[in-house]
Amino acid sequence: MSESLIVVADLVKRYGSETVLDHVNLAVTSGQVMVIIGPSGSGKSTLLRCIARLEPIQRGQIIIDGLIAAIGTEEPQSAVSGPLMPSSRHDIGMVFQSYNLFPHLSVLDNITLAPRRVLGMSREEATAMAADLLKRVGLEDKRDVFPGRLSGGQQQRAAIARALAMRPRIMLFDEVTSALDPELVGEVLKTMRALAEQGMTMLVVTHEMGFARDVADDVIFMDKGSIVERSPPDQIFDRPTGPRTRTFLERLLEREGGSRRAK
Amino acid sequence: MLNSATIVGYLPDYLAGALLTLELALVSTSIGAVLGLALALTRRSRYRVLSWPTYVYIEFFRTTPPLVQIVWLYYGLPLLFGFDLGAFGAAAVALGLNVAAFLAEIFRAGIAGVDRTQWQSARVLGLGFLDTLRFVILPQAIRNVLPPIGTTIIYLIKDTAIASAIGTPELLRVGQLVANETFRPAEALTIVAFAYFVLTYPVALGFTTIERRLSLARA
Repeated sequence: MSESLIVVADLVKRYGSETVLDHVNLAVTSGQVMVIIGPSGSGKSTLLRCIARLEPIQRGQIIIDGLIAAIGTEEPQSAVSGPLMPSSRHDIGMVFQSYNLFPHLSVLDNITLAPRRVLGMSREEATAMAADLLKRVGLEDKRDVFPGRLSGGQQQRAAIARALAMRPRIMLFDEVTSALDPELVGEVLKTMRALAEQGMTMLVVTHEMGFARDVADDVIFMDKGSIVERSPPDQIFDRPTGPRTRTFLERLLEREGGSRRAK
Repeated sequence: MLNSATIVGYLPDYLAGALLTLELALVSTSIGAVLGLALALTRRSRYRVLSWPTYVYIEFFRTTPPLVQIVWLYYGLPLLFGFDLGAFGAAAVALGLNVAAFLAEIFRAGIAGVDRTQWQSARVLGLGFLDTLRFVILPQAIRNVLPPIGTTIIYLIKDTAIASAIGTPELLRVGQLVANETFRPAEALTIVAFAYFVLTYPVALGFTTIERRLSLARA
């Protein structure tokens, strides 16, 4: 059995007195694509944000590639039982629902800023790499354009290119198509499919069930801060074991039934 | 009747005064910008040891008259610490400390106006705090608050006139001296007003231009 790239162990996350993640356990192997589904407020996005180290956690730990990336603030000192991941590590790329490109920088500068400042790349090197990435996401002609001039789908593809520029081993996608007009969803999903085919380890929070069915190795159903079910897509969609999973999927398919989005 | 001939003889004095006014404004703006930025950042800090002293500083300098602040530095420092800044130094430093308090509040508002998600995007890209500030947050924050920054600097240029109270031979002081010598205060001070306009209007124009350029670049 291969070693896990991401291990989430007994994770508890609270906002004030509200428990958002309740003893979550998850292991992801290198190259796996996980799609996380569930009703809003189930803790899907928070789980990604904890893995990206954007949120402190209260209990448990998150281990990335054998290094402790996050440990609960309420854990005793003795719980630290391995090497810590330095705060400057950037193995994890993340793409957000609202794109979050830097609006005052051109697409090129959005992509090259972090490689130049963090990885110490020269301007030429970074520009060449950016050109390559822009070609991969189909934006080679948008290099010098500012984000405000791009469509939502183009902005999101630029955001994916920006994240890839740091050569992450893991990519987190947090409802990246939810803010897009329906006709722009396809181009972003296509980029993500290509990335999955190239062997990227991905955690994808989405409502795109077609994408989940085709691309995911496993689909994770979350509800009320817990992982309820984790199964290969065929199984979870056709023979969900838990009643909550079934109810959720039935409602979702009902809603999609009339206007099913193109894959 | 206006007697322009009498006044014309003093033009070199006015010029020297205007130059000193400009120097005062430049030095105090520089102090104010650097200190104001540092104050804006510490004011936002979640550590009370940093944010509380900053709060006290800002409110103290915003709520006491700049004239008194200049007098404190000019007369107070030598008395208390035997440390004499001179008239120009005392005025420049006092005005700088004063405008820093106002700029700090403006910068703070500008930084608060930048979406939180910009910090998060920078963070997941591995950018450190200072790089995030320099390349991501401040360029957007400054854009948000260019108009109030321009107004504050124009106020400051005119406030340098307060330095005349401790004898710094800046514009207003020159005007007062000319008025005393010629017994023509209206003409002497109208020239002062005109000189302030010449100094401040380009600043106003400059800020408008920068604002327009930046909004074009962003679109």
